[in-house]
Amino acid sequence: MDEGGNRMTMPEPISRRSFLSRSAVAGGAVLLGAGSATGLAACSSSSSSTAGTKAQSGTAGINHGTPKRGGTAIIGNDADIDGFYPPSNHWDNNGFLYANCIYDPLMAVAADGSIQPYLCKSMTPNADYTVWTMTLRPGIQFHDGSALDATVVKNNYDALQASLLTGLALKFLKNVTVVDSMTVNFNLNEPYVPLPAGLATQVGYMVSQSMIDAEKGGNSNPTPVGTGPFVYSSWLPNNHFTAVRNPHYWRSGYPYLDQITFRPIPDHSQRVATLQSGGVDLIVSTDPVTITQFQGQSSYQVVDSLSDTLGEPDMSFIMLNCLAAPMDDLRIRQALAKGINYPAFAKLFDSGLNLATTGLFPPGSKYFSQTGYPTYDPAAAKALVKAYTAEKGTPTFDLATVTDARLTRVTQVLQSMWQAIGCKVNLQAIEQAQLISNTIVGNYQAVTYEQFAAPDPSINYVWWSTTTVAPVGKIALNFARNSDPQIEAALVTGRSSSNPSDVIAAYQKVNERLAVDLPYLWLGRTSWSAVADSRIQNFAGTILPGGKPGKGFDNGSFFSTQIWMEG
Amino acid sequence: MLAYLAKRLGQLVVVGFIISILVFLLVHLLPGDPTVVILGPNDTAHNRALLLAQLGLNKPLYQQYWIWISHVFSGNLGESYVTHESVGHIIATGFPIDLELIIVSQVVAFAVAIPLALFTARRPNRPVDNVATTGTFGLLALPPFVIAPVFVAVFAVALKWFPATGYTSFTTDPATNIHDMILPGLALTAASIAVYYRLLRSDLISTLQEDFITMARSKGLSNRYIMMRHAFRPSTFSLMAAAGVNIGALLAGTFIVEYLFAMNGLGYSIVVAVQQRDYLVIQGIALVVAIAYVVLQFIVDFLFTVVDPRVTRE
Repeated sequence: MDEGGNRMTMPEPISRRSFLSRSAVAGGAVLLGAGSATGLAACSSSSSSTAGTKAQSGTAGINHGTPKRGGTAIIGNDADIDGFYPPSNHWDNNGFLYANCIYDPLMAVAADGSIQPYLCKSMTPNADYTVWTMTLRPGIQFHDGSALDATVVKNNYDALQASLLTGLALKFLKNVTVVDSMTVNFNLNEPYVPLPAGLATQVGYMVSQSMIDAEKGGNSNPTPVGTGPFVYSSWLPNNHFTAVRNPHYWRSGYPYLDQITFRPIPDHSQRVATLQSGGVDLIVSTDPVTITQFQGQSSYQVVDSLSDTLGEPDMSFIMLNCLAAPMDDLRIRQALAKGINYPAFAKLFDSGLNLATTGLFPPGSKYFSQTGYPTYDPAAAKALVKAYTAEKGTPTFDLATVTDARLTRVTQVLQSMWQAIGCKVNLQAIEQAQLISNTIVGNYQAVTYEQFAAPDPSINYVWWSTTTVAPVGKIALNFARNSDPQIEAALVTGRSSSNPSDVIAAYQKVNERLAVDLPYLWLGRTSWSAVADSRIQNFAGTILPGGKPGKGFDNGSFFSTQIWMEG
Repeated sequence: MLAYLAKRLGQLVVVGFIISILVFLLVHLLPGDPTVVILGPNDTAHNRALLLAQLGLNKPLYQQYWIWISHVFSGNLGESYVTHESVGHIIATGFPIDLELIIVSQVVAFAVAIPLALFTARRPNRPVDNVATTGTFGLLALPPFVIAPVFVAVFAVALKWFPATGYTSFTTDPATNIHDMILPGLALTAASIAVYYRLLRSDLISTLQEDFITMARSKGLSNRYIMMRHAFRPSTFSLMAAAGVNIGALLAGTFIVEYLFAMNGLGYSIVVAVQQRDYLVIQGIALVVAIAYVVLQFIVDFLFTVVDPRVTRE
């Protein structure tokens, strides 16, 4: 629906908000594993959860009482970003936290999972979903005083398409054309039904013409100028990012804060200590311990992603290279899946939060189905390894991870489980950039990974498609190099069908085929959380321009427009 | 004296030149195509063109070195491929943090170690000496990553006297800056106290057995006067040498403390750059740190000549 309540043809309610986010960015980095707070963000990123159950019921993170104006909120995040320019930077949840201050997206995810207009007023497809017409809201200005109009939107997409980073994710887009001063057409190469969900992600955040021109002029990190609730003030990488209130913000009355500051604190325990000592008002975390540590403490508000069933959560898994021995033999992939003692693993690593999963979608998701994913069966695993060994020798492989204490423990536990079934496992701890490069060119056998959070499963097309598989040594976005025509067919249906039941069946098929092919050994969902002191109010209570509640806490990010400070 | 210093200065220039070559070759030691290795997933046409222009990789090696060192002397160390921030700015931002950490930790270390050593050296093997010696031995076994969380738990979380993390520059707010630096500075102090105390105590005990001290005592000079005017100065050589090495090691060597306290000093910046394969940042910081280390040793050499002019004759 558009904000006037008229029907805006949307395929179905869609949950998440990330598009490029942790995934689709061609050649971008990928968050490498659970608990890894280091750096590069990129391929995967924001977005999966809504506010946790408590927030939804109004007891944490949401306060729609009379807001107080003024004050500064200080947020402790886990890492810094690499820049503010959507065509060339890799935004993870931190990227979206910063972007939600300076910019506004064209579309946003509502609390009910539907996609709602934000900067745009409406978006309507033609009959076969190959042309989408978008009308912009009138009277919106960038911080430099220039107007948000059709031309600047078109120029944003020209820049996004020209970028190697975002261009691949927009392969379905032929071009964006100006219809009139406030209307553009998105002309697609193929039907793309969930397009609005994609515009609620990194490629939906509009920057000013001055930024585009500055970048074209050789300034690869132009000063951010958006339409957002806060104006860029200062950014010192790995120290702080500060933005001040935009007095001319187009959403009347917003924002409430005078200033917002983000402080990257990479060490989890120090981030917690900084919150406890009053150095920050809110922290964001993926460590399950954070949730259990603060739950039940009246002086803190805890919002988490555990109850989120919209779209697809961030997944932690072991990725296997299906084109590299011994992983090119399905028997070994099956043996490894059957060789993991999942209950014991969960007991060790998920702090009792029940993050275990047997597929892409959690129970409660409309895409959830029983996948037939292997369960712990050491006898069967040993038999498979024995058969392989008789034919090809002892299966020997490297299990790589980044230099992270938690992940090191994870790989050590897996090593012991897999050695018990007859495999020889060598552990590798290497730096993140190298590991990302290795996965892109297929120079690995098994690796810890964290990926796939998306507002719509279609956004993960590039990771699972047969069209993005390449031999070892060549760049491939299908990092696992799993080539399954049934998955490809289902993915095409998922993107092009406007029949919700067909789309659900398609992604259930993808999920089932992944449980057969086993390119990914699921370790669990990522447990995003935000913990705040009692001063900061309504951080998970965003209201979208059309009046609907927004998805308040979305895999480690939230809007800053509606936040206010008590006292 | 001047000839001695000139000779040392000449050596400094030679060492600096060698360091610059080694740092320059850092990029060329990478296997395969350096642009591919350096840029990795960020190997876009734009970044590749930028890198080739910055490194001049299509030119002979000596020309590449000349271009690079010319840029260095004009203050252009390139820019980060990740944040596109200039390397000069990263260093200008990070160096003061390292410097402050060093100043705070070393001032505290000297302030504790020197009086303690002066006191215990006069009464070796007495209870106070035994406690101090054992205590400092214990301090040696406490690395910053153990001390820092304890300090944070006590002084930040429980008592709320100091912030748990963060850094404000001195020019922005001097009072907040000093407040921010105390806990991380103290976390770095422990090992220095132990080393300085033990070295100075040992040298003082040795000096106090020299004939000229016996002579001074026979003249009826007070113990305090003897310690401060006769024994202390000749006992500081080991202390100064150790301080020179220690302070040099702390330059960009404070990663753990900077990581824990979320301070974007040189140590933190270079580790992040290594993780991200941001080679121009690594190259720039490595060059500055190496040069600073050499300059520091030159200063220590100079201080030797002040403490004992005989050094220049040797």
